[in-house]
Amino acid sequence: MSDVKMVKLLIDGQEVTVPDGTLVVEAAKTLGTQVPVYCYHPKMDPVGLCRICLVEIEKTPKLQIACSTRVSEGMVVRTMSPKVAEGRRGVLEFLLLNHPLDCPICDKGGECDLQDFTMEYGPGASRLTEPKLHKPKRVDLGPTIVLDEERCILCRRCTRFDNEIAQERNLVVVERGHSSLIGTIDGGDYASYFSGNTTEICPVGALTSKAYRFRARPWDLAHADSVCTQCSVGCNYRVDARFGNVMRTFTRENPDVDGGWICDRGRYTFNYLYEPSRLREPLVRRDSDLKRASFAEAVTLTAEKLSKAAAAGRAGIIGGGRLSDEEAYALQLFARKVLGTNNIDHRARLQRYASPARFGAQLRDIDDADLILMFGAITPEQAPILDLRIRRAVARRGAHLVFVGPFKPALAVPFHYIEYAAGAIGDLMDSLADAVGRGSQPQGPFATDLAGRLQSAAQIVAVHNGRNTVAAGALERLMETMRGAGKRAGILVVGSQGNARGAEAAGCVPNLGPGYAPIAQPGLTTAEMLTAAVAGKLDALYIAGANPVLTFADGALAHAALENVPFLVVADQVLTETARYADVVFAAASQFEKRGHVTNLEGRRQAFAQAVEAPVGVATDAAILSALAAALGKRDELFDDPDWLFSRLEAAERAAKPAEPLARPKLDTLATPQRDALDVQRKTFTVIPVPKLYAGGGPSMHDPGLAPMRPEPRASFHEDDALLLGIAQDRVVTLSGPNGSITVAANVGTSAAVGTVLVTADMPEAPVNRLLDASGTGRVTVTPAPLREKATA
Amino acid sequence: MPTFEPVIMKGIGEMDLADIDVYERGGGFSVLRKVMREMTPDAVAAVVTESNLRGRGGAGFPTGRKWSFLPKDGRPRYLVCNCDEAEPGTFKDRMLLEKTPLQLIEGLVISAYAMGAKQAYTYIRGEFLEGSRIFRRALAAAHSRNYVGDRILGSDFSLDIVVHRGSGAYICGEETAQLESIEGRRGEPRLKPPFPAIAGLYGMPTVVNNVETLCYVKHIVDRGAQWFAKIGPEKSPGPKIMSVSGHVRKPGNYEIPLGISARELIEEYGGGLLPGRTLKAFQPGGASSAALFEEDIDVAIDFDSLAAKRTMLGSGGFVVMDDTACMVNCARTLTRFFEHESCGQCTPCREGGQWVARMVARLEAGEGSEEDLRVLNVINNTITGTNLCPLGDSIMPFLASVLKRFPDEFAAHVAHGGCPLKRMAAVVA
Repeated sequence: MSDVKMVKLLIDGQEVTVPDGTLVVEAAKTLGTQVPVYCYHPKMDPVGLCRICLVEIEKTPKLQIACSTRVSEGMVVRTMSPKVAEGRRGVLEFLLLNHPLDCPICDKGGECDLQDFTMEYGPGASRLTEPKLHKPKRVDLGPTIVLDEERCILCRRCTRFDNEIAQERNLVVVERGHSSLIGTIDGGDYASYFSGNTTEICPVGALTSKAYRFRARPWDLAHADSVCTQCSVGCNYRVDARFGNVMRTFTRENPDVDGGWICDRGRYTFNYLYEPSRLREPLVRRDSDLKRASFAEAVTLTAEKLSKAAAAGRAGIIGGGRLSDEEAYALQLFARKVLGTNNIDHRARLQRYASPARFGAQLRDIDDADLILMFGAITPEQAPILDLRIRRAVARRGAHLVFVGPFKPALAVPFHYIEYAAGAIGDLMDSLADAVGRGSQPQGPFATDLAGRLQSAAQIVAVHNGRNTVAAGALERLMETMRGAGKRAGILVVGSQGNARGAEAAGCVPNLGPGYAPIAQPGLTTAEMLTAAVAGKLDALYIAGANPVLTFADGALAHAALENVPFLVVADQVLTETARYADVVFAAASQFEKRGHVTNLEGRRQAFAQAVEAPVGVATDAAILSALAAALGKRDELFDDPDWLFSRLEAAERAAKPAEPLARPKLDTLATPQRDALDVQRKTFTVIPVPKLYAGGGPSMHDPGLAPMRPEPRASFHEDDALLLGIAQDRVVTLSGPNGSITVAANVGTSAAVGTVLVTADMPEAPVNRLLDASGTGRVTVTPAPLREKATA
Repeated sequence: MPTFEPVIMKGIGEMDLADIDVYERGGGFSVLRKVMREMTPDAVAAVVTESNLRGRGGAGFPTGRKWSFLPKDGRPRYLVCNCDEAEPGTFKDRMLLEKTPLQLIEGLVISAYAMGAKQAYTYIRGEFLEGSRIFRRALAAAHSRNYVGDRILGSDFSLDIVVHRGSGAYICGEETAQLESIEGRRGEPRLKPPFPAIAGLYGMPTVVNNVETLCYVKHIVDRGAQWFAKIGPEKSPGPKIMSVSGHVRKPGNYEIPLGISARELIEEYGGGLLPGRTLKAFQPGGASSAALFEEDIDVAIDFDSLAAKRTMLGSGGFVVMDDTACMVNCARTLTRFFEHESCGQCTPCREGGQWVARMVARLEAGEGSEEDLRVLNVINNTITGTNLCPLGDSIMPFLASVLKRFPDEFAAHVAHGGCPLKRMAAVVA
C-alpha cells in the first residue's frame, strides 16, 4: 500500500483520503454515504447510463455522475444540495413515468431500489397525463427467469453481467430508444448457469426467479448465513425462510471464495425439500419391499446387524463427502470407536485425492495467474464459480488457459487444448518438470510450447479433479520445480462432492484419522469393500450420503456388491439408486436443517447456520450415528451435538498437526488409470465420462427448479468415427461393455478424440459407470439402433 | 453581393471535381506533394494549431489541440473522418463528399500524416449511398496515382483508408458512438473520459474530424496559418460553410468568412426573406441550437458570439422561420426527431425526450393542457445537463427558447384547441 498515491478531498464537508483513481461513489462509501445508483455495480465497469448518482462538484457547472468520476486532490463534492435533489428527482420522475404500478404484485417490493430511492429523493405524484407505454410482461426468458420489460429501467446490469462476468454474451439490448428491450442474442433461451445472479443485481422487479415468484415478501423472511455444498467451491450464501420453509437463497459475498456470485445449481437446489420424493421417515425392508418404520425400529434393527458384522470385522462405511465436517468426524468415530473398524472411505466416485499433498493454492491465486493449467476437471460444469474467476483472468488480465486431456471441453473463454490420453498426462508433467528444472528437452507433442509458457509465467495455478494419481504426483513435482525457479505456483483439486476435502481431513479414509494422522492398520477402500461384499467377505455396509451405484467407477461391481451384501444401511435425503438396495434407509436431514462447518477445495473451513427445522422423522446424520452408538452400548463415544463434535475434531487436528506434504489417502491397485491404446480398427471405443452441472442422482434430480435444466444423456463421437459407424447427430446407439450396456442418443462433432466416446456422467437413466472398471476406464462396442421404418402410405 | 472568395467550395458547380484529372489540373494534390516533399508531421500539426482552426462538425473544438492529445506511447493511431452528417438543416458535408471527394481525400491524407496514423476510416452516413459510391471511385483513383496507399508519392508514409457506411442513426455522428459503430457494435456513445485520443477505436488513440475540417486543413497547409487566422474573429477564425434553408429565397450552401452578421447571411447570401414576410425566428446551428429572433438579426456568426447569446454555431445548419411558421409545429418536428434518434442508454433522454415529444404533439394537435405548459416550462432543468451525450442536451434548447419568447403562441394552442396560425390561414384563404 505504501506506493499507492493517496488523494485528499472533501465530501459533504468531511475530509476523505482514498487511493488515486477511486471513484467518487466509492470514496463516499468510506464515509458511510450511499450515493444512489442503478447502473453502477462495484464488480462491473461503470457505464454512466442511469444518471441517478448525480452529485455536485465544485468548479464544474453541470452535475456530475459519481459512478464514473474519479477523485482528484482538493475536489469538493456535495452528495446532497438543492441542485442535486432536483437532478435526482428529475431522473426518478423519468424512470417512474412509464414504470408500471406493479408494487402490490411485484416480487421486488420491499427490497426494490426504485421504491427506496423514490421514497428518499423522488416526486410524490406523476405528472404524466397520457397512457403509459406498454412492453411485454411475463416474458419467459429461460428455464429460471421471468422478465418484465415494463419494469425494466434499462440499467443494463444484466447484459453487462452476462458480458463481463459470465462472458457468455447472450443477454443483449434489442431495439433502441424508449422501445429498448432486454433480450437474447438469437431470441433463444437465456440458459446460463449463472442466470439467478441477474435477479439479485436487477435493481427492480424486471428479472425474477421462477423458483421464488409470488412466494414471499422480504420482510417475512428469516435469514441464515450458510455455505453451499453443491460443489467444492463453498460459495457463501444466505438461506431465506418464511415460517419454517426455505423460500430462496441469496448471495453473501466472500471476496476470497465466491466474489459475490453463486451458480444456479447452488441457488436453486432447495425446493426438493418439499417434494413427495423427499424421504420423511425411515424405511425398513419387509417382504422384499421398503416400508415405513419408526426411527427406533430402524435403529434397533441396524444396531443388531452392525454389531454382529463389526464383531467379526466384516463391517464397512462408505460416505462423508456430503456431510458436514462435524458429521464426517462422527462417521469415522462411529467406524473406529463404535464398530472398531478402519473400513471407512468417503470416495464413492472416481476421485482418489480431495486435496493436493503440497502446494495448495487459494482461489484468489487464479486472479493473478499468468498460466492456468487444467486436466481432468471441467470447471464450468464442476465448479462454476471457480470457472468465473478463470474467465475473468483470461479475458481481462491476459491469463493463458491450457487444458490437457483426451477430449476438448466446452470452456467459456479461449484456451489452448493439448490432446493427451488420461494415462499419459503424468508423463507430460514429468517431462515438463525436467524441462523447467533441468533444462532437458521436453518430450511429447506440445510439450515444448507448454514448457516455454511455464518458463515465462510468474504465477501458475493448476486445476485437476484428483482422479489421476500418477499425474497428480508428477504435477506436484512440476510445481516444486516452478517454485524452485522463483515462481508462485499452486494446485486446486476440484472435489467430487461438496465436502470431499472436509471428509478426507476428518478421517473418512481407511488409513488416516482426523488431521491426516496415519493409522497403523489401514482398513479397506471403497473398491476393496465392494469387492469383499461380492466375495461374501463383508456382512454389513453403512452408506451415508453417497450413491456408489450411480457414481462409483465400476457400476457393475457396486451393483453386485450391494445386491450381495447381507445387510445394507443407507442414510440419504431421497431414495437414490443405492438406497433402493438397502435393508434400512434413514431419512437424513439436509444441510438447511442443521448447523456446522464444511471445508472447501482450498481447505478453508466455513461455518453454516441452520435455516429451518427438519420434519419429524428426519434426523441429522450425527443424530442417526449417535442413536446407533447408544444402541450399540457406546453412547459416550459419540454425541450428536455439533459443538461437541467440532471441538473434538479440532482437538484431534491440533494433536495430529497436519502439514504439507499432507499424507495421502490409501489407494487400491484398481485405482491406477490404465494406459489406453487406440483401437485402430475402431471396433471398440474408449469411454470417457463427462460431468454436467445438472446431472446427478441425488436431491438435485428431484428439484423442480432444476428440472427444466436437466440434461439428456448423450454419447459424443468424433465425426470421422461417426462416419465409420454410419451414424448422424441424434441417432440412438447402444454402448456395450463387458459388464453392461446403455442406450443413448449420439452427438457428432469434434470435441471427442478419434477412438473415444464421451458419455454424460451420473445420469441414472443411462449410467455410464456400467461401462467402466474400477480405474474409471472402459471399452465399448457401439451398435446403432435400427432406424424407424418409414410408414407407408 | 457577397465578395468572399470560396475556398473549399471553389469550383463546385463549375467543373467535375470528382474527376481526378480535373482536380489535378486545378492544382489538386499539389499540397500533398509539398507536404510529402518538404514537411515533417510536426510541422503540419504546428501550422494547423497556429491557424486556430476549430472543428466544423458541431463542437468547435480547436483541431490542433485535439491532435496534440494523442499520446506518444507507440500504440497505433487512427483518424476517423466523420461524414455522418445528420443534423437537421445541415447539408454541407454531403455536398463536399459528392462534389469534391478528392479535396477531402487530400485533406485526410495530410491530416493522417500529421498525426502519424497509418489507417483512416471514413464513416459515411448510410443514407448517402450515392455519395459513398462517388467517394469510393475517387478513392480508387487517388490510390492508382499513389496519393493513398503504400509509400505515398515515394515517401515512407503509407495510409490505408477504409470506407465504413453507417446504418441510419443520427447518434453515430457522436464520435464515441461512431467508434462503437465502426467496431461492429450498437452505435451508442461511450463514457468520456477516456477520450478517443487516449482510448478510441479498438481502444487505440483516435482522432475524429469532420469532413469540412479536413478540407480546410489542406488549405491551411497550402496558404499558411496566418491566412486562415486573419479571416474573421481571432478566436473563431476562418471560412465556414453555412447550410441556409427555410423561409429564404435562395436556400443552399454558402462559404462565408466567420464573423459576418446573420442579417448579411440571410440577405446577401440567402437572397432575403420571401416577399411580404417578416422574420420570426432562426436557428443558427442546427436542430440542437436555441432559436434567435428578429432582435438578434445583427449577431455575428461565429462560435463565441453565438455562444454568448446562449445558442451555438454548431455545424452551421442555418434555418430561417418567418411569421407563417408555427413555433409549436417547429418544436414538434424537432422533439420528434430527438425522440426517434435517442439511442436509449440514459434515462433523461430516453424517458424525458419521449415525454416531451408526446406533450408537444398533443399541444400541436390541440389536446394540450395548462399542466403540459407548466411541465414544459420547468423540464429543461432536469433534461438538459444530465445526459451521457449531447443528444439529450439537444432536446430542449429550441423548445425552451421559443416557449420563453412566444408564450402566448403556446397558450393559444391550449385555449383554442389548435394552432391559431392555421386557423388564420384558413380564414384568409
